[in-house]
Amino acid sequence: MSAYLANAIEQGQLVNDWLTPKRLGSMALLQQTSWPTRKTESWKYTSVRSLEKKTFERGTTNDEHAFSSIAGLDAIELVFVNGVLQQLPEGLPAGLSIASLENVPESTQVWAREQFNVAKPSQHLFGLVNDVLADNGVIVDVAEGVTIDTPIHLVNLVSENNETQQRVIVRVGQNAKVTMIEHNTGSVESLVNHVAEYFVEESAELELYRFSFRTEKALTVSGAHVQLAKKAKLNATIVGFGSELSRMDLDVLHRGENAFAKINAIYLLAKGEHFDLHSTIEHEIGHCVTDETVRGIVGEKATAVFNGRIHIHRDAQKTLAELNNKNLLLTDDAKINTKPELEIYADDVRCAHGATVAELDKSALYYMTSRGVSRDTALVMLNFGFINALVDEMPNAVLAEWLRPILKERFVKMNAEL
Amino acid sequence: MLEIKNLQASVEDKEILKGLNLEIKPGEVHAIMGPNGAGKSTLGYVLSGREGYEVTDGSATLGNDDLLDMEAEERARAGLFLAFQYPVEIPGVSNLEFMKAAVDAHMEARGEELMSSAEFLKAAKLACKQVNLPLEFLKRGVNEGFSGGEKKRNEIMQMLLLKPSLCILDESDSGLDIDALKVVAEGVNSQRDPKRSFIVVTHYQRLLDYIKPDYVHVLSDGKIVKSGDASLAKELEAEGYAWLEGYDVEEADA
Ligand SMILES: Nc1ncnc2c1ncn2[C@@H]1O[C@H](COP(=O)(O)OP(=O)(O)O)[C@@H](O)[C@H]1O
Ligand SMILES: [Mg+2]
Repeated sequence: MSAYLANAIEQGQLVNDWLTPKRLGSMALLQQTSWPTRKTESWKYTSVRSLEKKTFERGTTNDEHAFSSIAGLDAIELVFVNGVLQQLPEGLPAGLSIASLENVPESTQVWAREQFNVAKPSQHLFGLVNDVLADNGVIVDVAEGVTIDTPIHLVNLVSENNETQQRVIVRVGQNAKVTMIEHNTGSVESLVNHVAEYFVEESAELELYRFSFRTEKALTVSGAHVQLAKKAKLNATIVGFGSELSRMDLDVLHRGENAFAKINAIYLLAKGEHFDLHSTIEHEIGHCVTDETVRGIVGEKATAVFNGRIHIHRDAQKTLAELNNKNLLLTDDAKINTKPELEIYADDVRCAHGATVAELDKSALYYMTSRGVSRDTALVMLNFGFINALVDEMPNAVLAEWLRPILKERFVKMNAEL
Repeated sequence: MLEIKNLQASVEDKEILKGLNLEIKPGEVHAIMGPNGAGKSTLGYVLSGREGYEVTDGSATLGNDDLLDMEAEERARAGLFLAFQYPVEIPGVSNLEFMKAAVDAHMEARGEELMSSAEFLKAAKLACKQVNLPLEFLKRGVNEGFSGGEKKRNEIMQMLLLKPSLCILDESDSGLDIDALKVVAEGVNSQRDPKRSFIVVTHYQRLLDYIKPDYVHVLSDGKIVKSGDASLAKELEAEGYAWLEGYDVEEADA
């Protein structure tokens, strides 16, 4: 057992709150879990060594952090500094309620406790750590039939040597619609463990953005776990940069017929960065659709890990599932470990699954140079276009216009340093 | 302006252009017609510098520039423009961003001060209007999901922005209905200028009703086998290309 894990267990035993009944089960599991090594299948390509012996402070400092909201985006801001919610937004639209995890009304506690760990599978090590330690976060509830036009923008800012264990639970009621943006930034030595569970009820829609922009020594482990009921819709965009340790577990559970999940994920890894996305799509029931596109650009000495699992259960007939992972390696020493995992137990399904290293589109390059654009400029534009095509697909145009230059600047810098 | 002498080129070791001669003076419009597979598109690719098209003999000069010695981007900056028969789709690269980079490259090569984004946007909008392309097409990926006709008009839009001195239009009329054809022809005609020349590659005489050529050439099996004035196009329309079978090429050259 690592010092980090021993400490987490010790700390977890001191926690006593409204979630304790649920935390106990996870504590029991955690105590039996061993610290991942290279032999641990789900951690084969991602080392947790940088965390092994670390201890951070939690929620103690409330430093100043420069944070600017997204230009042009009218959003409900939830800014956390070292796990402390700076301000609970007031004057929320009708049908939307947001409670801070430390201060949850009784009625909310009842359903939120019931949903806790329902969308998140128990096999994620840091998910279990989060189960026993989470001391900040929000419970978001969107009432039946309500469309919330203003996106909810959650941001984590963390000071040096700090750790945050954050839990988010979102319930989108029947026929309701909401947009969530979860945004982690920073580069100082710190840890963010950010776990969110989303329950999208019948005919409801969730538009989800996950920006994992923590770099350098900013260690990040996070989970996004989505349960889709009948006719529920998910449209998710994930964007990841890498750091010494950056891992995201995505689970989507189709639990009602005719549920639909569109997932686009991008990673853009600068020199030496590491990013790991583990995605699991469970088709537990028939007539559901998954359309997952994962595209990454991996820079010099950087490593991307993508594990894409699609599990089509025996009763999930008429499933339509497509998963595609394409990677662009900028240098010879850039690395991608991509592993498609298809498990199909139903016979009447359509399923496509592919992982490739992207090849340069020579006819596009010729077309561009035939207009006078230099080969180098054309290459940068084409390569950026490879991920930008997914930015183009983001349903929120304001957010896309904000994100595009951030990615572009990062990419141009990566190229300049080659 | 353009002088092509005994141009021979092959693709994947297959000889396609077999000694092609053509001279175009400033301000002239030359139509090139000919059966499928004659090498019309190949001529455009060879002149514009597409990779994989190997010149085995002959020369091509544009003004004082030896085209065959230049990179594709240099040829474009020297004033050559090819409107593609099959324009390429480039998802993720917006039309606007692409054209800004292209125009920037041209201006930079000429040592001019670059246009601001706002100035450029204005010019691009104007060019779109001229070819009846909705302005939102500037934001979309280059040719991404455009219909056949929209792609052809987008090529002309690019030509309007780049103001080349030699324009090669490779079947810019194919797949167009009569209204779209007129739009393309008007775009071209608006650019006719004593200093600007055109090669109009087409299968059909129809386009030449709208873009009046000074000369018409028949390209067959990698060579120009017959040249004449606009009336040749009418003849071809009436007779088709069957007469080319067994045509004595040497005689035509004479
Ligand atoms: N990339 C290629 N590889 C092999 N053959 C090619 C290639 N491109 C063109 N060709 C051949 O060259 C000949 C001329 O083609 P093309 O120039 O496209 O004719 P046109 O435009 O007159 O219809 C054809 O026989 C065609 O099959
Ligand atoms: Mg052709």
